[in-house]
Amino acid sequence: MTSHLLAEKRLIISVGPGGVGKTTTSAALALAAALAGRRVAVITVDPARRLKDALGLADLSVDPHPVRVGGVHFDALALDAKRTFDDLVRRLAPSPAAAERIFANRIYNELSNELAGSAEYMAMEKLHELVHTGNYDLVVVDTPPSANARDLLAAPNRLTNLLASKAVGILQAPSSLLSFTDNALGRATLSALLKALQRWTGLQLLDDLADFVGGFEGMLAGFSKRAEEIDALLRSDATSFVLVTSTEASTVETTISFHRELVAGEFPVAGVIANRVLSFAAPSVCAAGLAEWEEPLRGKLSRNQTELHALALRDGESLERLQSATGLRLLAAVPQTTEAPASLEALARFARHLR
Amino acid sequence: MKTATQIVFVTGKGGVGKTTAAAALAKHAAEHGRRVLLLETAADGNLAALFGRQPCGHDIERLQPGLDAVRVAPRQLVEDYFRSVLRFAFLSNALLASSTFNALTAAAPGISEFLLLDRLLGFAEPGLGRRRRYDLLVVDGPATGHALRLLRTPRYLLSMVPAGPLSGTARRLRELLEDDARTAVMVVSLAEEMSVRETIEICRVVRDDLGIHLARPVVNRVFPKRFSRADVAAIESRGSAASAPLVAAAEFAIARRREAERHVAHLRRALGESPVLFRQLFVSELQAADLGPLGRTIGRSLLDAAEAKR
Repeated sequence: MTSHLLAEKRLIISVGPGGVGKTTTSAALALAAALAGRRVAVITVDPARRLKDALGLADLSVDPHPVRVGGVHFDALALDAKRTFDDLVRRLAPSPAAAERIFANRIYNELSNELAGSAEYMAMEKLHELVHTGNYDLVVVDTPPSANARDLLAAPNRLTNLLASKAVGILQAPSSLLSFTDNALGRATLSALLKALQRWTGLQLLDDLADFVGGFEGMLAGFSKRAEEIDALLRSDATSFVLVTSTEASTVETTISFHRELVAGEFPVAGVIANRVLSFAAPSVCAAGLAEWEEPLRGKLSRNQTELHALALRDGESLERLQSATGLRLLAAVPQTTEAPASLEALARFARHLR
Repeated sequence: MKTATQIVFVTGKGGVGKTTAAAALAKHAAEHGRRVLLLETAADGNLAALFGRQPCGHDIERLQPGLDAVRVAPRQLVEDYFRSVLRFAFLSNALLASSTFNALTAAAPGISEFLLLDRLLGFAEPGLGRRRRYDLLVVDGPATGHALRLLRTPRYLLSMVPAGPLSGTARRLRELLEDDARTAVMVVSLAEEMSVRETIEICRVVRDDLGIHLARPVVNRVFPKRFSRADVAAIESRGSAASAPLVAAAEFAIARRREAERHVAHLRRALGESPVLFRQLFVSELQAADLGPLGRTIGRSLLDAAEAKR
């Protein structure tokens, strides 16, 4: 069911709640597309160690790195949010000195490491970069585990909104705020607010913040243009979002709310891939088999069949709930295996379910 | 004896059962005479559903005797906080309506984390002349990455803001978090590679880097042991067509159990502490009544340990 996506799209974005196997699914999608003859790159975010080893990403290679399997190859790379952010600043800064000033700022260092959605932002930035190299027919992107799709998709705009807002001028010269207000009460209000804010935060935080936003002066146009291009790319016909989920009831509910947000944002969702789906025969059809065993093992097998079949039924119900709530196509239901996808062979078996 | 309010942060990778563990602990404590508040931090949390209720709102609601719940959303925290700090509605309305202010609070690091901790501080140390309403605050927290950011916030603020009222609050928060008798972090995991790896990482950071007390971690959905060694040998040697589905199911259960044992052992070795195990349930929908056994085990390991320290 995914074959047309793998054959036609230029960008596939895997989104979904944490812990559902998004990274493995993204790598398997890349492999399936490579098997279909396309030149593919996959951007992974925090892969499990053994998957990382299997993909040859052990030393966190942030540059595309070929993975050879089954006579084909695709490129894989691990997202390093801090380095990607640094690269972006370096590229957009008007001078090397301006870039250095930003790198030295404490707020930048906090921000680029882990704060305010920078991993999400940088995943978007990296995909833009790879799509535009022209080296690939298809880029598959694994996304960082976000609490919701909104955070993920709004990330590129969040920094530009801050930079574009009046905050920059205000932080550099707090009294300039007063000129935006033309009545006396408004001016008094704002001036009281500013004093309170200064007192409350201590001076240093405001200074750092002013220094931080000041450092980005002259880069705003670059950032805004970038955010616009990323947004256009995400909404283009050549892009598909694929929801990845497991069958846990709470995970399915989160996936449904992801879908709602994507649709509200008018992003193109192609369908859903369900991972770790259980499937076991009903105990009623196992009577002949059970007769071959002696007690007490027969009782144990019967109980085990009943329990696992109950889990499988629950999975089936979850998938029905998911499809009826979203109206999405189930692109693939990948069966639960007991092996972790720790090798390229296991990845190849996974990829077979995606064609 | 006057005892302090205890805070338990429950965290773990997405989908591991944080809410289940948080609810189990809260329910158990409430049924043993504590006044408990459950704080739900996920915007789409399913906590109330466990108690057969509509999702909780921003006002405190009673789930059962001794057990209240409330949802704490970032935007709401920002509004509440500035309304309380600024006192005059026209001031806070002006501020909250300003696009500059909203751009700042959405992008600036640490604001919603700080406000959540500040809210907890308000419950734990209500200030002179005000009554403590709760003995235990259970935070159904964000997933691990965000949880670490939350727990690091006081330190981060203290380094950014060395003086002033804000730093005073940050200092009180840090003392609260690092007080073994008052604060604990409980990490919930599955018996799977990724989940265990992340649990070990976060446990080490919490305990060794942040100096915050670590409750015994919880491993959720551990497959029960159904087959003995002799059973396994018998199952592996049988290959008739009629028995094939039974053998496949049995082999699945055996492999899952082995995997679970291996991961639990790994966790125990890495942390030098035995996790609390909660087994896989086969009922179709988890209800509050099913939380009993988990609540008892967690409650025993956590609440009694804190009691003994006092």
